[in-house]
Amino acid sequence: MTAPLLAAHGLEYVYPGGVTALRGLDLSIERGQKLAILGSNGSGKTTLLLHLNGTCKPTRGEIRLDGQPGRYERRALNHWRRRVGLVLQEPDDQLFAATVGQDVSFGPLNLGLSEPETAERVREALAALRVAHLADRATHALSFGQKKRVAIAGVLAMRPEILVLDEPTAGLDPHGVTHLLGALQQLHDAGTTLVFSTHDVELAYAWADRVAVFHDGMVLCQGETAAVLGDRELLHRARLRPPLLLQVAEVLGAGRNWTVPPPRSREAVLELLRERLGQPLSAGPVEPMLAHSRHGPLA
Amino acid sequence: MRAIDHHAWTNRWRCWHPAEKLLPASGLLVLTLILPPLTTAPLVLAGMALATVRGAGVPLPTLLSVLAAPTAFLLAGIPFLAVSVDFTHGFALLPSQDGLRLALTMTIRALAAMSCLAFLILTTPVTDWVASLRRVGVPSGVVELSLLTYRLIFVFVERALTGHQAQAARLGYSRVDRSVRSLGLLAGNLFQRSLAQAHRLEIGLAARGYTGELRVLTPKRVLSRMRLVVGLGLVGLVGTAGSLLARGLS
Repeated sequence: MTAPLLAAHGLEYVYPGGVTALRGLDLSIERGQKLAILGSNGSGKTTLLLHLNGTCKPTRGEIRLDGQPGRYERRALNHWRRRVGLVLQEPDDQLFAATVGQDVSFGPLNLGLSEPETAERVREALAALRVAHLADRATHALSFGQKKRVAIAGVLAMRPEILVLDEPTAGLDPHGVTHLLGALQQLHDAGTTLVFSTHDVELAYAWADRVAVFHDGMVLCQGETAAVLGDRELLHRARLRPPLLLQVAEVLGAGRNWTVPPPRSREAVLELLRERLGQPLSAGPVEPMLAHSRHGPLA
Repeated sequence: MRAIDHHAWTNRWRCWHPAEKLLPASGLLVLTLILPPLTTAPLVLAGMALATVRGAGVPLPTLLSVLAAPTAFLLAGIPFLAVSVDFTHGFALLPSQDGLRLALTMTIRALAAMSCLAFLILTTPVTDWVASLRRVGVPSGVVELSLLTYRLIFVFVERALTGHQAQAARLGYSRVDRSVRSLGLLAGNLFQRSLAQAHRLEIGLAARGYTGELRVLTPKRVLSRMRLVVGLGLVGLVGTAGSLLARGLS
């Protein structure tokens, strides 16, 4: 068995003030995954993410990249951060340049790329996040959703193997969420491994392949999405609720043996509901956002 | 300040090379200072206003509001120049011919000079000026720092405004003593938050390979010879017309 792309072993972290944030957790991230780190507010998710790109150095335990223990001297860190891109929750903490194009060019230039190559990376990254039209805008004139996407583009322009996002959908309206997830899905399809933290069980259920439930500095369980989110007792311990879609699907499918995994999209659950109520499938309103979206469940 | 910044970023001439705007503006500024002001200054004022409003597409009210503050100071100064105090027969305030003339020339000259500066700040974003500084040899550390400051001013102002609104919503400014207290709390809070923000920015930059240099790709502005010639022509035209008119009048 090959080593996971990125893994945490017995990770412990005590803040300089003496507060313990992580209590010996294990986590493994395989190539090509979409992993949700699910936990309530203040459970230490951000601290965990800061370990994944070497920003925080664990008090005990270690992070492994391709099975190799992470090293914290400057050259090793540069290499590490080239492979693991981190997007902070608050875009204003990350955007420092006056224009969008300039800000996105920062990462590629730090990789030592030439100016033409950098310009190409900037175009590519802005296009991938669907914000190419903002390239010459002033950073401070952007909306929150735009800032968020530009912040992701700034990390994406370095072409990381793993993109780590802290609460990527926090503060976005439903349309903004659909838009952002569409762009992230394309990145994932193109081969980028995605790791994101969230407290939104519905988002994790609809969008992640795998879920790690995080509570009080520990990963309580890591596994396949439907299995993990079907475990009520576990979710209760992590102060989370099971996703509504899964609960409805369970009620509708009671007495039936799931030969396929339970439906994960809003449309599929609605269809199941209509079937159960004995109505024709075509009846009932289709929400316009769903009709246009590739990622219906979140629209 | 926000209005100026907004138009600097969105006007039609925003992507011109800064030198193409600097040349006519500084040329006309020099004319205002050296030629007879009564004839030249109105021409300069008209020329710069036309360039700003018709050329770059900045709305006239914006230009007027930029000029309004200095104009108010000028007008406040006029009485002191135009009136002389006469003590020969007790105390009397007399309008003086020379004083009036001085007040008029000074006002019109100052207005014309202001219009040149208004044209520059309304058509060119701060970042373009700072990038030009780098080109003329200012150390990159200074340039990086000023660009970062420019960006963070907006973050800071936004925090300050929302903080102020939040305090006002809880009646923090309902009395003078409360206002003083609220303002002090706000300042202390902003200081702490700025420090925290700086720390998080450091993490964000480090994640993108920051190693002590804030290098970004500055868009290349192509210098158009045609626009330079047109700018120079405008300066020449105003200069000739201004001095000919002055000779005709005297």
